[in-house]
Amino acid sequence: MERDAAVRVELYRQFVGSGRAPTHAEVGEALGLGEDEAAESFRRLADAHTIVLKPGTLELWMAAPFSAVETRYRVETPLGSFYGNCAWDSLGVLAMLDTDGVVSTTCDDCGQELELRVDGSRIAGDGVVHFLVPAAHWWDDIGYT
Amino acid sequence: MLAFRSEAHVEGWCRQRSVAKGAVFSFDQLWDLARTWYSDRLSPRWTRATAAEAQRVFDGLGLSGPFWRLQ
Repeated sequence: MERDAAVRVELYRQFVGSGRAPTHAEVGEALGLGEDEAAESFRRLADAHTIVLKPGTLELWMAAPFSAVETRYRVETPLGSFYGNCAWDSLGVLAMLDTDGVVSTTCDDCGQELELRVDGSRIAGDGVVHFLVPAAHWWDDIGYT
Repeated sequence: MLAFRSEAHVEGWCRQRSVAKGAVFSFDQLWDLARTWYSDRLSPRWTRATAAEAQRVFDGLGLSGPFWRLQ
C-alpha cells in the first residue's frame, strides 16, 4: 500500500534525523494523516515484519537496523548516535547510512569491550559473531535470535 | 546475533546455557552481510525481501547449509 510505504520512509527519515524512534502520531502528522490512519499503518507494517512494535503497544521497538531502545550495540556516526538491535544490525546502521563509524559493544561471554570500526567501507575489529537461532526461525521470537 | 571475542568464547557461552552452537563467522563476513542486507533500507523503493530473495543473499555470501535454509 502506498500509504504504508510513505509511513515507512518518513519513520526512517525522522529516526535518522533525531536519533530516536518517532511515534505514529509524529509520522502521521508529517504526512498529513490522522492519528488513527497512522496507527493502522504502523500495525500493518508490524504485521508485515517491516517494523516491530513493543508488545501490546504502538511504540516502535525495532525499525531494523535501528533499535528504539538502548541495547549493548551502540553505534557512533558523524550523523549521530544510534543503537542496533544486535551485532548484525549495528553494522547495518553504518551500511544503511553509508557512513564510517564505530560500534561499541562487549563480548557476551566475558564482558570485554569490543569495538568494530568502519572506515572507508573497510572494517577493523577482533572478534566473531554468533547466530544462535537458525534463519528459518528468526521470526518465531525476533527478540531472541 | 551476538558479538564475542573468539569462537572459544562462543563455545563457553553455549556450554553455560546448555544450548547448541549456531553459526559463527568473522566481523568481515558480518560487514558483507550488513552491507548487502541494509544498504538500500532508506530507499523509497525498498520492499521486504521474499524468502527466495533472502536465500539468494545468504547463498551469495556463502552462508549455506541447513542453518541458513529459509524454506
